Amino acid sequence: MMKTNIVGVYEDEDDLVDAIHQIQDKGIKVSDVFSPIPIHAVFEALKLKTRLPIATFIYGVIGVITMFGFLYWTSVISYPLRFGGKPLNSLSFIIIIFVMTIFIATLLTLITFFIRAKLAPGKKINVIDPRSTDDKFLIVIDKENHMTTNEIDAIKTALKESGAAEVNEVTQDVTDL
Amino acid sequence: MYKKQVRGVLVEGNKTYGQITRDITTTLYAKTPLWWYIASSISSIAIIVGIWAVYTTISVGIGTWGVNNNVAWGWGIINFVWWIGIGHAGTAFSIFLLILRQKWRTSINRAAEAMTVVAVICAGMFPMLHMGRIWDAFFILPYWNTRGPLWVNFNSPLFWDVVAISTYLMASAVFWYIGMIPDFATIRDNTTSVVKKRIYGFFSFGWIGSARGWLRFEAVSLLLGGLTAPLVVAVHSIVSMDFATSIMPGWHTTIFPPYFVVGAIFSGFGMVLTLMIIVRKVFKFQDYLTQSHFDAIARILTFISLIMATAYTTELFMAWYSGAEYEMFTFMRNRVTGEYTMAFWTMITCNAIIPQLFWFKRIRKNITIVFIISIFINIGMWFERYVIVVTSLSKDFLPSSWATYSPTSVEVGIFIGTLGIFTLGILMFFRYLPMMAISEIKGILKKTSK
Repeated sequence: MMKTNIVGVYEDEDDLVDAIHQIQDKGIKVSDVFSPIPIHAVFEALKLKTRLPIATFIYGVIGVITMFGFLYWTSVISYPLRFGGKPLNSLSFIIIIFVMTIFIATLLTLITFFIRAKLAPGKKINVIDPRSTDDKFLIVIDKENHMTTNEIDAIKTALKESGAAEVNEVTQDVTDL
Repeated sequence: MYKKQVRGVLVEGNKTYGQITRDITTTLYAKTPLWWYIASSISSIAIIVGIWAVYTTISVGIGTWGVNNNVAWGWGIINFVWWIGIGHAGTAFSIFLLILRQKWRTSINRAAEAMTVVAVICAGMFPMLHMGRIWDAFFILPYWNTRGPLWVNFNSPLFWDVVAISTYLMASAVFWYIGMIPDFATIRDNTTSVVKKRIYGFFSFGWIGSARGWLRFEAVSLLLGGLTAPLVVAVHSIVSMDFATSIMPGWHTTIFPPYFVVGAIFSGFGMVLTLMIIVRKVFKFQDYLTQSHFDAIARILTFISLIMATAYTTELFMAWYSGAEYEMFTFMRNRVTGEYTMAFWTMITCNAIIPQLFWFKRIRKNITIVFIISIFINIGMWFERYVIVVTSLSKDFLPSSWATYSPTSVEVGIFIGTLGIFTLGILMFFRYLPMMAISEIKGILKKTSK
C-alpha cells in the first residue's frame, strides 16, 4: 500500500511550534511531527499524553507483592530456618524487596516502552526525511484520496505561510510496516 | 510572547544542529587513529595478564592470593569496592543531575554511563573469583534445589550484594542504551557507508523521532531515572553493610552506608573528570566540554571532599568518644599510626586535603592541575578501601589472630586485568558509539525559551 504525506520542513523549533498552532487554527489535522530533539510545546499542541508512569507504578506494586510473597514463602513456609535469632519473616527482607522492585519495574517499563513505541532491533522503517534526525523539523499531514486539488493547495499554502522552508510530497510504501 | 535568557552558554562556538551531529559523529566515520591501536594493544596485554591471573586462581585456588585466615579479604574486595565506586559516576551524573535538571550534564553523561557499565562488570568479577570455586558460583542464586529446597540466606548482606549489583548493572545498561537509540538513528540517517547504515540502523530499533516517540522516550528516561536514583544510594549502602553488619572494630559503625555512598560518588566524579579531560584533549571537544563543565565538577568534588573529611573525623572522634578500646586501637594504633600509617595518610591527603585546592578559581581553571588532582582522588579512594579492608582484619580482638597481608602477583594481575577491560571497553565505546548524547546537546543549544 502506498501512502502520501504532505511534509513541511522547518529550520527551527520555535518556528515549528508556531506553525503547528497556525495550521491547527485553520482546521488542518497535523498527523505527526518529527524532530531531532524532544519539544514539550509540540506534545501540548498535539495533545499527546502517555500513561507510562501509571504502568510503572503498577509494575512497582506487582514487584513489591511478588518479592514479599517469594521471601515469605521460602523463609516461612517452604523451609523455615532461623538466622541469628531473627524472626522467620524478617524486617531485613525490605532490602531485597526494595532492590528487586526496582529490577522488576525497570525491566517491565522497558518492555512496555518498546511495545508501545513499536521499537524493536532491526525494525524496518520508512524515513520520511532523513534530515529530521539531524537538523530539520517536520510537520506531516496525511494526503487522503478524497482531498481535492484545492484542499491540497490550501494545505501547502498554509505550511508555506507558517514559515516552512520547503513543502514536499513524500510517497511511501507502507505495506510491511 | 517574550524571550528570556534561561542559562549560560553550555556549547561554545555558535553551533547549529547540523554541526553538532557532524562534530560528534566525525570520530565514528574517521579512520581509526594510530593512538587507538596503541592504547588498545596495551589494554589487551593487561587483559592477557588478567586472564593468566584468573586462570591461576581458578586452577590452583585462592591459596595463590596473599589472603590468609585472618585477613581473609584482600585486593579482591578492595578492588571490588573501588570499581563499584567508580561505577557510581554514570548514574550519579545521568540521574541525579537529570532529576535536578542540571543541563551541563549533557556532554558528559553518555561517557559516564559507559564508564559505569564497564566498571560494574569489572567489579562483578571480584566477588565471583573470591568465592574460590567459581564453578559453584550459581549457589548464591535462590534456585529450586534438591537440598530441601534449602534457600539462600536472605538476611545476608552478601546476598543483598548479588541482588543489588545485578540490578544496578541491568538498570544502568538499560539507561545507557535507551539514551543512545535516537543517536543511532541520527547516525543511520547521516552516514554514507552502507555497512554503518545497516548496523546502526539495526541498533536504532526503528527510531524515527516522531512526537509520540519523543514523548514516550522522555517519559521512560524520567521513569528509569526515578527508579535508578534510589538504587545508586542502595547499592553502595549494601556494599557498606558487607562490612558494617560484622562486629569487626572499624567496620561495625552506623556511619558506613552514607560514608560509602558519598565516597562512591566522590571516586566516580573523580574518574569522570580524569576521563573527560583526556577526551577533551584527544578528540578536541573544547566546544562541548568547556571550562565551566570542569568548574562545576570541581566545585562538587570540593563539597564531597569536605563530607569525606567529616566522615574520617567522625570515625576518629567516635573511636575515642565511645570508649571502645578495640575501636580506639584500630583507629589510633593501626591506622593513624602503626603498620598501615602510610595508607591512612595517603587516603587523608588525597581525599580530604588535595581536593581543597579546588577552592581557588585559578586552580579550577587550569585543566592540567585539575587532571592531576583527579588522579590523586582515584588513588586516594583506592587507599580508603585498602585501609578499611586490611587494617581491621589484620589486628582484631586477639593478638594471637593478628596477621599481616600483602598481595601476590596473582591478585595484582587480576587488578591489572580489570584495568585492561575497563580501558579497552572505554576505547571501544569512543570508537564505535556516539560518545556524547547528540539529541540532548541539541536540546540545550538554545539559550532562550518562550
